[in-house]
Amino acid sequence: MNNIEFFRYLPGGGPSRTASGLTRLINTLLKEYRVYGTIKKDGFPAYAEITDAKELELFSTPTHLSAKQFLFPPKETLLRYDIRHHLHEAVIESGKQAIVGLHPCDIHAIALMDEVWAYGKPDANYLSRRENTLIVGADCMPDEYCFCQSIGTMNVTDGFDIFLHQIKKGFLVRTASKKGEEIIAWLKLREAKPAEVKELEARERLREASFKARLEADHKDLPGIYAESNDSPVWERIGSICTGCGSCNTVCPTCYCFDIKDEVEPNLSEGERVRVWDGCTLEDFAKVAGGHNFRKTRAERLRHRFNRKFRYLTDKFGMLFCVGCGRCSRACLVKINITEVTNELIRESNKRRA
Amino acid sequence: MSLFVNQTKEGLESPYLPVPGVVERVTRVTEKERLFSIAPLNPSLLEYGPGQFYMVGLPGYGEAPISITSGPGETKEFELCVRAVGNVTNALHRLKRGDFVWVRGPFGTTFPVDEMKSKDIVFIAGGIGVVPMRSLIKAVLKERHDFGKLTLIYGSKSPEEMLFAEELDDWRAKGLEVLLTIDKPDPKWTGNVGVVTTLIPKVEIVEGKTVAVVIGPPVMYKFVILSLRDKLIKPEEVFVSLERRMKCGVGKCGHCQINGCYVCQDGPVFRLSDLKDLPEAL
Ligand SMILES: Cc1cc2nc3c(=O)[nH]c(=O)nc-3n(C[C@H](O)[C@H](O)[C@H](O)COP(=O)(O)OP(=O)(O)OC[C@H]3O[C@@H](n4cnc5c(N)ncnc54)[C@H](O)[C@@H]3O)c2cc1C
Ligand code: SF4
Ligand code: SF4
Ligand code: FES
Repeated sequence: MNNIEFFRYLPGGGPSRTASGLTRLINTLLKEYRVYGTIKKDGFPAYAEITDAKELELFSTPTHLSAKQFLFPPKETLLRYDIRHHLHEAVIESGKQAIVGLHPCDIHAIALMDEVWAYGKPDANYLSRRENTLIVGADCMPDEYCFCQSIGTMNVTDGFDIFLHQIKKGFLVRTASKKGEEIIAWLKLREAKPAEVKELEARERLREASFKARLEADHKDLPGIYAESNDSPVWERIGSICTGCGSCNTVCPTCYCFDIKDEVEPNLSEGERVRVWDGCTLEDFAKVAGGHNFRKTRAERLRHRFNRKFRYLTDKFGMLFCVGCGRCSRACLVKINITEVTNELIRESNKRRA
Repeated sequence: MSLFVNQTKEGLESPYLPVPGVVERVTRVTEKERLFSIAPLNPSLLEYGPGQFYMVGLPGYGEAPISITSGPGETKEFELCVRAVGNVTNALHRLKRGDFVWVRGPFGTTFPVDEMKSKDIVFIAGGIGVVPMRSLIKAVLKERHDFGKLTLIYGSKSPEEMLFAEELDDWRAKGLEVLLTIDKPDPKWTGNVGVVTTLIPKVEIVEGKTVAVVIGPPVMYKFVILSLRDKLIKPEEVFVSLERRMKCGVGKCGHCQINGCYVCQDGPVFRLSDLKDLPEAL
């Protein structure tokens, strides 16, 4: 069943959470899945494993790290070997997991990751984990960095199993998969009342009006604008302040570059080949033996990262690879802001056309 | 014998699972390079074309992209020529006959040998660039009569660093003109001194009939390409093989990217005209 206009009412969410529908939902998930969800950590929303429904807290603002960590872990084993016994095997590990609290941008990001890992030689490690993952979305309110509205990713109609819309006295629930529908059907929720749907619509209108960060061009024009911005002075300027820390890569839900390393046990026979997150803004990313670096400067590396989001991968997959979550701008200590950078390129492009 | 298991869940195979190969022979080529003959346990690995590469690895050390230097059509073994420069390549140099290596691939694009038929070919190699070139030269010499004039321009730093020197006479006998050069004068050397571009004017180039193949260190391409342009070879008729850092070989890890293009998939062999929209390429 996939009826996006069909809402059911899940009660509660307030202080009496023990009896609330959200608790019932999480308890249902806990029976079958390892559950990850948003909690408050050091005052900020973050993902963590949820073992008790009480721990979960849904937030209208984004988490610092995205949910990509559950599908593409910061470190994972690809091979396991035992040299003395001449053994080696591919490791493809995944277990049933549910991720709760993803915002629409995060759900769009997972749809993009599904494309890249399936493309060409499929990456079994990601795909089998994805296959075992249930996605429970939750709605949000933009902060000053969110710009999904300008990218076209502020709403989702698929890519999730269950989606929770917050209203004053609980949630309105949508499902977009058979599995999601089964779970919700099991909770025996009543259909939403017209007044509740009205409340949701009002909240959506407020959300639409709340965006502060905006792109000054139609998102369809962005690949073209980036294509003509290779020599823009913007790259040198942001390159001169970038520290090359790689935080923007780490927090981005659609950055998926990696390194592969070997780790050997002290017995020198057993070991693993692991993959770990890597980042194109790091100095050594394109360096080869002999010291030649194919992207020597920070300006070149930032230009590469931005082009991957708005042009390179778009040319390949037909979709923008930035979902407008604003995480890279939030994380950047020197305040390199992806909307401001893109707007500058848009303005330069407009000037060239004038 | 090494066992290799590919856990297939939902019918998926891991693209990171290597196939073991047995080192049949190790030959010292120069101070820094060794030639390995390797018999893969899975013969489908031998279905390669000139220009392609494997991810070659050793447990505990990791993997490195290494070009196939044997000609196509081998039925038991392939050859790799490895320069010891770091972690993996030094570990490869310690291998002896009978040892195992891990291999994934072959990966990447091949030189379009059929398209080069009936043409004159100028092969221009610098340093270790002659390693992948050797696979192409072997492919071409195998069907020598299908091609026009064949010339190899090969430059190395010094006479000691010249690779495959003992094979050059065989290539000459099969109809390849070989022009050699070294970077700096050397008492043992009586031939040409200077970079490879100094030999290009010595080659007779027929507009529309000559194709060029260029493989060398990053600095070499710009100069060679300029002097080929002076000789009126069109970018459509120039082929290059480009090196980048590589970790996965399957278009995922991002390390090999030149602008939007993945060298492990769309390369390493490129037609020069296909690089015109990739400012990071050369
Ligand atoms: C398509 C292709 C074909 C090649 N063919 C040959 C060949 O036939 N013979 C040969 O001797 N060399 C070849 N090289 C270069 C060879 O891959 C590097 O010298 C090797 O990766 C260095 O690894 P290392 O661990 O010994 O060195 P380290 O310096 O210890 O390398 C550290 C890490 O950086 C990575 N790295 C460093 N340099 C390179 C590089 N140039 N390319 C990719 N990854 C790199 C390695 O993966 C390694 O894990 C080729 C490179 C490419 C891209
Ligand atoms: S590039 Fe920045 S704004 Fe775009 S998806 Fe990545 S982290 Fe979010
Ligand atoms: S987070 Fe900012 S400083 Fe760090 S690499 Fe990215 S752009 Fe540079
Ligand atoms: S080597 Fe990983 S993408 Fe090409």
